[in-house]
Amino acid sequence: MVDAARHPKVEILAYSEVEQVEGYIGNFRAHVTKKPRYVLEDRCNGCGECAQACPIELPNDFELDIAPRKAIDVPHGQAVPLIYAIDMDSCIKCYKCVEACGKLDAIDFSMQEENLELDVGSIIVATGFESFDPSRIPEYGYGVYPNVMTTMELERLANSAGPTVGRLVRPSDGQTPKSIAMIQCVGSRDHRYNEYCSGFCCMYTIKNALLLKQTYHDMDITIFYMDIRTPAKSYEEFYNRAREYGIRFIQGRPSQITEDPETHNLYVEAEDQALGQVVEFEVEMVSLSSAAIPRVDTERLASTLTLSRSPGGFYMEYHPKLRPVDSPTDGVFLAGAAQGPKDIPACVAQGSAAAARAARVLSADTWEIEPIVASVREDRCISAQGRKCGICATACPYGAITVEVGQAAQITKAKCHGCGGCVAECPHDAISQDHFTDAQIVAQLAELLRDKPEEKILAFMCHWCSYGGADNAGTSHFQYPANSRGIRVMCSARMDSDFILEAYRRGAGMVLVSGCHPQDCHYISGQQVAAKRFDRIPRTLERLGINPERFRVEWISAAEGEKYARVISEMSEKLASLDKESLRAENAAASPAIDKRLQRWRESPQLADLMEPARQEVPV
Amino acid sequence: MIRSDQLDHGFVEEVMAEPGGQHLLTCWSCGTCAATCIVRRYEPAFNPRLILHKAGLGLREEVLCCSEIWQCSACDACYPRCPKEIHISEVMKAIRAVAIRAGYESPGPTAEVDETICSGCAVCTRACPYGAIERVTKGVNGSERTVAHVDRNLCLHCGICVAACPSGAMSLESFSDRELISRMGADGWLDKPGHLQGGSPEPRVLAFVCQWSIHSGAEWAWLDDLQSDTVRVVNLPCSGRVDPAMVLLALTKGADGVLVVGCKEGECHYVRGTYLGRSKLALIGQILSQMGMDAERVQFAEMGALDRFRLPKLISAIANDLKGVRVSAQVAVMA
Repeated sequence: MVDAARHPKVEILAYSEVEQVEGYIGNFRAHVTKKPRYVLEDRCNGCGECAQACPIELPNDFELDIAPRKAIDVPHGQAVPLIYAIDMDSCIKCYKCVEACGKLDAIDFSMQEENLELDVGSIIVATGFESFDPSRIPEYGYGVYPNVMTTMELERLANSAGPTVGRLVRPSDGQTPKSIAMIQCVGSRDHRYNEYCSGFCCMYTIKNALLLKQTYHDMDITIFYMDIRTPAKSYEEFYNRAREYGIRFIQGRPSQITEDPETHNLYVEAEDQALGQVVEFEVEMVSLSSAAIPRVDTERLASTLTLSRSPGGFYMEYHPKLRPVDSPTDGVFLAGAAQGPKDIPACVAQGSAAAARAARVLSADTWEIEPIVASVREDRCISAQGRKCGICATACPYGAITVEVGQAAQITKAKCHGCGGCVAECPHDAISQDHFTDAQIVAQLAELLRDKPEEKILAFMCHWCSYGGADNAGTSHFQYPANSRGIRVMCSARMDSDFILEAYRRGAGMVLVSGCHPQDCHYISGQQVAAKRFDRIPRTLERLGINPERFRVEWISAAEGEKYARVISEMSEKLASLDKESLRAENAAASPAIDKRLQRWRESPQLADLMEPARQEVPV
Repeated sequence: MIRSDQLDHGFVEEVMAEPGGQHLLTCWSCGTCAATCIVRRYEPAFNPRLILHKAGLGLREEVLCCSEIWQCSACDACYPRCPKEIHISEVMKAIRAVAIRAGYESPGPTAEVDETICSGCAVCTRACPYGAIERVTKGVNGSERTVAHVDRNLCLHCGICVAACPSGAMSLESFSDRELISRMGADGWLDKPGHLQGGSPEPRVLAFVCQWSIHSGAEWAWLDDLQSDTVRVVNLPCSGRVDPAMVLLALTKGADGVLVVGCKEGECHYVRGTYLGRSKLALIGQILSQMGMDAERVQFAEMGALDRFRLPKLISAIANDLKGVRVSAQVAVMA
């Protein structure tokens, strides 16, 4: 950190908040609020005389509220930049600090909030994590029994730079405990709170246990765990050392902690799984390894930067294996525990990777994007005619579309990833996607359904998952009937209901729409947009007199070739069981209504040719 | 040794097909349920985690033959603590359903009906928290009568029906009326005049304690230490087992106060026992006031799993309170 602060090309804006970010990769503009420190940065030399003079004491959040801090203070001794700041909410304006500062004259009570606008090429989000509040688990008595602490608090107490200068004491009587129980997985791996594993708690608990054992040889330390997870390099050896040092490990999750009100000793009950018996430990102190959870402001920053969040609430990466430090927004990168709980080596590795990814953007004059972006046909956009719409903007997972009444929707091409969700959602066909235009897709559809359409299954597949699944079925030589015909689009969100209806108008026997599984969508929420649309299709078909069993939605991943083959086989069987004559009659009866609905296609020069009455020769 | 061919996956599927059994395989054996469950105090072999684990492996005979599957009382103390949110008592029910289908039955003990006394009034049917009692019409002593019948696979011998029965037709093998009264009066405790009767210098307190409300062995040891000329502890299978007649008997025979201790509401071992026990005590209190006595002389207290160390203090607090009761008035009424 100190090196970073000294670097001529690094500017640190501490005590500041990012309020708003606009623009796109290479051209972001960040609006930053710099809060007033009431201390002049260029004058303060970090001597700390002011803090010594300050009469106001507050809980010190760096020391997890175990120790006090002053109303004018730095977070901790190694803080970068080492510049003091006044907490105005608690300052009583006695001006003792001004006196103490003397000739340096660094304190300025008239300082105001500053609003900065920064032009930046890339952004790295490294906002860290928070600790789960164990008082939410009533049976562990955190916040009720004085000697139940979190392992983080215990770590501060055991730290030689901490509030007790490294002497571990228990809060009830200030004595060093002779026995400690450490409880793992508090609030993590627990479906009531957080399902995920916090990952690094095993290691830091073992570290603290070892540190204590080395300082206090006679201390009796018991770690209650569900599974010890020490998978990284040299971690297992560290765990072995802890066992050799005589730290007791009991596999069993404690059910409850009770306290003797006189001695404030604690009773921990758990089932020792190896014994198959319940054990009760009387200990003088308990530490809870509470889960790492996303910071409270995660959602605010997510909406500022158009980031998405994983099921656990942490920021989601673009791709878990292939692009683990990229966010879904180009030019924004993720590092550290903000992306998911991780330990220091992993944070350092990810931080370095994010810096390299960000530098790649900065060093380029131009940035190549996929040529499949969406564009607006201004003459058709009703927003340009002064009507309220904005459906496209809500469908866009990347915030690439802005809609203002009176103007046509604007698409920031650099932000568009080409899912095609807006194209399919636009009720006025005012948006088209390059290389996946309506005309191109309808032309494919028309050609595929030229011969004996009632015997065909028309399958719409998303590029990333289902098309890969179909490919997998082929390369794995899975057997399935040959009557399916596939159309590839980038995302299930591009599968317009109009295409589905058009398929029936052209006499298709069955229609399959398939995309990624919900959590696997390559376009953040494209699958959700699609799923919502597909939910409505069976009712539409019923109204048109088409048997809804002739329509199927399936989420098929690239590895599920077997599933693709099975789905097609099932659909083929179903199709074989339907009477061809009545099927043709259904399609014919629905055809005028569909034709009427697709009337607007005839207004499009590219589509008009294709829209000749169904089942005629189509020019290709 | 267990060989893999002994594992019956059909059994796993059978359990999971039962309502409530669907979460069987989500358990990862952390042992929270086993450490929470209080049944082990009386049945050391009972271990819900182990039953779920064995069932999940498909050890059909081992699970169905064991008597433990019948011992879960569905108190659901473990359910809110399970990190996988498995409703363990529901899984137990699913296993029992499979067992019943396979012809197994609970080894008991159960509440017994004396059919010669039973009037078929159905008070017990409504009181039973498990719906284990129904009325059947059958020949008793040569005549056709409607009497209560206990389903042994559902009864968990809490004794609530015994206390509820107005005819004295229900009984438990242990905790019979006779046994409880003899424990109350052992060593002539009930024959000595109380503080309010001008006898003992200190108030005398009789405490009926639900056997499930006290969680650790250490606490039972303290309770034993408390037993004295002024304190008498009688344990019950459930606070719902408390019989108003016994409370009144104690008050007329030298106890200045009666305390009934049940599990904390929501943790009751027999689901409804705390509710029933507390309601009874409230009614007894009303009766006492109508008789001109101090309703505070009967009290109900709840003990949760986390309330360790509280009971001895509670008993001495009650004894202290009783000192303040106006002695002369009470003596007059008693006389």
